[in-house]
Amino acid sequence: MDDVMSRDLISDLPQSIIESILTRLPIRDAVRTSILSSKWRYKWATLTQLVFDEKCVILSNDRCKVEDGLVNFITRTLFLHQGPIHKFQLTTTHLQCCPDIDQWLLFLSRNDIKELVLELGEGEWFRVPSCLFNCKKLTRLDLFRCEFDPPPTFKGFLCLKSLNLHQVLVSPEAIESLISGCPLLESLALSYFDSLALTIRAPNLKFLCLEGEFKDICLENTPLLVAMSVAMYMTDDIAEHFEQSSTCNFNRFLGGVPRLERLIGHIYFTKFLSIGDDLGRLPITYAHLKVVELNQVSFEDMKEILVVLRLITNSPNLRELQISGSSNTLAAIDAPDLDFWEDECPSNCTFKQLRVVRMTDMSGVPHEMEFIKFLLANSPALETMSISPCVYVMDGRLNMLIELLRFRRASAQAEILFIQD
Amino acid sequence: MPCWICSQMMKSYIWLQTADGSIQQVEQEVAMFCPMICHEVIQKGMGSSKNYAISLPQRVNPAMLSLILDYCRFHQVPGRSNKERKSFDEKFIRMDTKRLCELTSAADSLQLKPLVDLTSRALARIIEGKSPEEIREIFHLPDDLTEEEKLEPLKNTTDDPRIRLLNRLYAKKRKELKERQKLKNIEVEEERVDDRSVDDLLSFINGDNGDSKGIKNSKSKKKNRRRKDQQKNTSANEAIKNHNKEPNGLNQVCHSAEVGQKVRAGVGATSNLHDVEDDIFDNKNELDDGDIDDEIDPALKEKIDREVEDFARRLNSDWPERMQEILSFGHERKPVHFSLNGNGSLRRYASMLLSFFYY
Repeated sequence: MDDVMSRDLISDLPQSIIESILTRLPIRDAVRTSILSSKWRYKWATLTQLVFDEKCVILSNDRCKVEDGLVNFITRTLFLHQGPIHKFQLTTTHLQCCPDIDQWLLFLSRNDIKELVLELGEGEWFRVPSCLFNCKKLTRLDLFRCEFDPPPTFKGFLCLKSLNLHQVLVSPEAIESLISGCPLLESLALSYFDSLALTIRAPNLKFLCLEGEFKDICLENTPLLVAMSVAMYMTDDIAEHFEQSSTCNFNRFLGGVPRLERLIGHIYFTKFLSIGDDLGRLPITYAHLKVVELNQVSFEDMKEILVVLRLITNSPNLRELQISGSSNTLAAIDAPDLDFWEDECPSNCTFKQLRVVRMTDMSGVPHEMEFIKFLLANSPALETMSISPCVYVMDGRLNMLIELLRFRRASAQAEILFIQD
Repeated sequence: MPCWICSQMMKSYIWLQTADGSIQQVEQEVAMFCPMICHEVIQKGMGSSKNYAISLPQRVNPAMLSLILDYCRFHQVPGRSNKERKSFDEKFIRMDTKRLCELTSAADSLQLKPLVDLTSRALARIIEGKSPEEIREIFHLPDDLTEEEKLEPLKNTTDDPRIRLLNRLYAKKRKELKERQKLKNIEVEEERVDDRSVDDLLSFINGDNGDSKGIKNSKSKKKNRRRKDQQKNTSANEAIKNHNKEPNGLNQVCHSAEVGQKVRAGVGATSNLHDVEDDIFDNKNELDDGDIDDEIDPALKEKIDREVEDFARRLNSDWPERMQEILSFGHERKPVHFSLNGNGSLRRYASMLLSFFYY
C-alpha cells in the first residue's frame, strides 16, 4: 500500500477541531465514530454538548420500542462519556414522565452542566427532581411540559442567563422568586401560563418574551430591557379583572424601560396597556425604540388608540411601525370621538426617523383612516407606507383608496402600497 | 488598523514565509484578516519586509495559504451582504476531502475561526449518515480494532492504569485463546485454571468482600470438576453483579454505544473474566495448575489469605503511591521504576503479581 496515498487524513487533527466536527453531527453519528479505528474510539466521548432527539433511534410504529431504544441510547451514551458535559438537550414527544430522566439529571448535576433543554411530550408532565436545583453552574434552562417545584431552601441559579419555561406547572411565587434569584438573567421567556399575575424584578434582563393568559404583569425593575414580545390572551376572568383595575398598566409595564429598542405586542396587549387611569405625561422617553409592532389593535376603542399614540409620540427615533387592526367593523363605523383627531391630537409631534409603516388587516373604519392620515402628515422621512386590507372587507376597498389619495404627505418620496392578496 | 501601518497612502504588503522556505508578499488588509498574522504584525512588528517575513506554522503549505488568502480576500471586504458571503462559502468548500482536511488544519493554525467552522461543517456533512466502512475509505482510516473491541469497549474514565491493564490483557487473552484452541484443544485444563482464577480475581477486585470465602471455594472446586462448571457460572455472574453495584468497581463492562448492534452480553462478560485470569498468570508453564492450594500448609495459607486481603485493600486505594510498596512486598526486594505507560512494564507487573500470589 502506498504510504502517502493511504495516510490518515483526519485522525491527527487537533482535538478541538475533531470536537467541532463531531458537535455538528447528530449524536448517533458522533458516537458511531468510536468504531472507526483505534484512535477514534474515545474521540466522541469528551464532547461537551449532547443533543438527543428521536433521530437517535430507529423509528418504528411500536411506541414502547422507540421509548426504550431512546432511553437505552441516552443512558449508554452518558455512561461511556468522559469529562464535563456543558450542554444537554433532549427533544422528544415519546418521553414524558420517566424515571430515567431523573437519573440523567442527577448525573448531569455532577458533571458541571451549564445548558439544559428538556422538551418532553404531552401527557403526564415530568416533575423536575431536586437535583436540578443543585446545578450551580447552570446558564441556560429550557423546560417544556414539566412540573417545576423548587424546594424552600432554593435561592436561585446564580449563573443563569437564559430561562425559558413553556407549559410549565409552577406556582406564581416560585416564578417570581426564581426570576429575582437569578441576578444575571438576561433572557426570559414564559409561555402558556394560566391566569398569572407577575412582577418581574431582573436588573440585567435584556430580552423578554411572554405569551399566555396573564392577569397582570408589572416590570418593576428591568432597566436594561432591550427587546420584548408580549402576547396576552383573554379569559372571562381576566376580562373582569381588567374592568375593575384602576392602576395605570401602561406606566407599570412600560414605565421603567428606557433602553427599549424593539417592542412587539399581540392580541390583547394594547388592551392591557389601555387599562387604568391615564396619569398624564409619560415620565420617560423611549430614545432607543426603533421598531414597534402592535397587533390586533382595536380602532373602535379610543383608549387603545391613545396607547398607540402615547407610545409613538414618546419615541423620537422610531424607524419602523407595524400595526394590525382588529376592529369590530360594526361598532367602528359609528366612530365617536372623531373630532379627537382635529382637536386634541398632538399636532406638533413629528416622526423624524420614521421610514417604514405597515398597516395590516385594515377594515377602512374611520379611526384607522384618521390614524394613517396622521402618520402621513407627520413623517417627513417616510419611505414606504404599505396598507393591506382585511380579507373580509371587499366592498370598502375602493373607498379606502379614495380616502388615501387625498391625504397630505409630509414626505415627498413616500410610497403608498396598497397590497391586495 | 493601527496607525503606523496605515500611514502610507500606497498599498502596503505583508511578507509571509511558508515552511518550505518560499516567501511571498500579500496585501495587508487580506493578510491581517488572519488573527495569527495580525498578532505577529502588531505585537512583534514582523512582516514588513522580506527579511522579516512572518514564518507561518508548518501546517500551512503554499497551496493551503493560497486558498486561505482567497477566502480572506473575499471576506475582508466590508460591504458584502450575508447572501453573497454564504454563496461564496458554499462554492469555496467544494474540494476533495484531503484538501478539506488540510485546509481545516491550516486555518486552525492561523486561528481563522470562521474558516475552521466552515470546513468543520463541511467535514461533518461528509461523515453524516455514512457507514463506518465508507467513512474509513474516505479518510483512509486503518481498520485496526479487533472484533471484540468493536463490541465491548471498556470505559477508562480517569485513565486508570488498572483498567488499561485489563484492556490489554483482554485483547492479549483473546488472541491467545484462539491460538490455543487451534493448537492444543485442552479445554478441561483451561476451565480448571479459570475457575480458581475467577474467584481470586473477584476477591482482590472486590477488596474485603468475601475474599477468604472465595479462596476456600476454589479449593473445594478443584476436587469436583462437575460442580465447578455451575459454580463458575454463578460466581462469575455474581461478580458481574458486584461489579455493577460497586461505584469504584474496577471493571465496568459496558456495551458498545452502537445502537442496534447485537452485543454478546452475558457470555462476553463471563468469558472476559476468565480471559483476564488466564493472562495474569502470564506463564502457564511455570505454574502447577491444579494443586498449589492443596500443597500449602494451613499456616502459610492463612498468611497468604491475609496478604491477599491486604493487597486488595491497597489496590483499591491510592494506586500510584502504593505501587512501590506492593512491588517490594513479594520476592522482588528492590523497588522497580514502574512506568505505567510501557508495555514492557505492564508485562513485568503482571508476572510480579503472579509471583506474589503464588510464591
